[in-house]
Amino acid sequence: MAWEKRNGSLYYYRSVRDGERVRKEYVGSGPFAELSARSDDVLREQRHLEHLEGRESVARVEALAEPLCGVDEVTEVLARAHLVAAGYRRRNGEWRLGRG
Amino acid sequence: MDREAVVEIESAENLETEIDRLRDLSDKAEAGDKEARRELRRLVERASPAAIAEAACVTRKAEGMLIKTISAGEPHLQETLRVRLRDMRAEIAGDNPTGLEAMLADRVVAGGLLVEVLEALISAQYGRDVGKGARSSPTYILQQSKILESATRRYMQAIQTLARVRKLQANTRRVQYNTQINVRP
Repeated sequence: MAWEKRNGSLYYYRSVRDGERVRKEYVGSGPFAELSARSDDVLREQRHLEHLEGRESVARVEALAEPLCGVDEVTEVLARAHLVAAGYRRRNGEWRLGRG
Repeated sequence: MDREAVVEIESAENLETEIDRLRDLSDKAEAGDKEARRELRRLVERASPAAIAEAACVTRKAEGMLIKTISAGEPHLQETLRVRLRDMRAEIAGDNPTGLEAMLADRVVAGGLLVEVLEALISAQYGRDVGKGARSSPTYILQQSKILESATRRYMQAIQTLARVRKLQANTRRVQYNTQINVRP
């Protein structure tokens, strides 16, 4: 979103996403354009805060889940090692007692 | 860095080395390498008690973090949760569990608790009375839901692994060793 100076006057344009593309939309000039620009600023700030809060909430959830992820891998390796050491092997995803 | 932190890092590194070795030998033994299977048996007897104890310790720490999050520092609620989890653990592990079974039971209990916490955190954002500021946008709720989905999958896998180990160990001679698992987190 930007002000553009043409022939000594300021004109306000707003960027609008249209699918993959971003196009420039003419809003106007004078007090009405200033009001629109301020309103856009507030909306942009609000979106930014929501983005930060959203990222924070995801980070919080990730932080809770993360310690157990490491344990999961370790326990799987240990369980498998015990079964293989006891003579088992997987056949088509099923554990069976091997011969040797 | 204090001594306790150094010891913790060293034991984590040792655990990682042992786990890599166990994984490598399991791959070879499953592919039919008899020498690898013999070596794996030796390593399971020698190294796995310490690795099991270490993994159990990490699980308890993660569980402690979850308890703190749920209870929001409320000591009475913390104690209630600890007792509930201890009972669940005892029930799932059964009588005279092996070190491996006890560790897997720990993982099932901690995994179940994690799923519960994540479900509560995420579903709280769907409520009608939730203010606009407290509700994440759909993109972030979707990301959180994916983390929940992964935690649920791992929880189910933990239950499956424990059931498999129980079933298969019942048919084989047990490797007897003593493993110390500290009950207090």
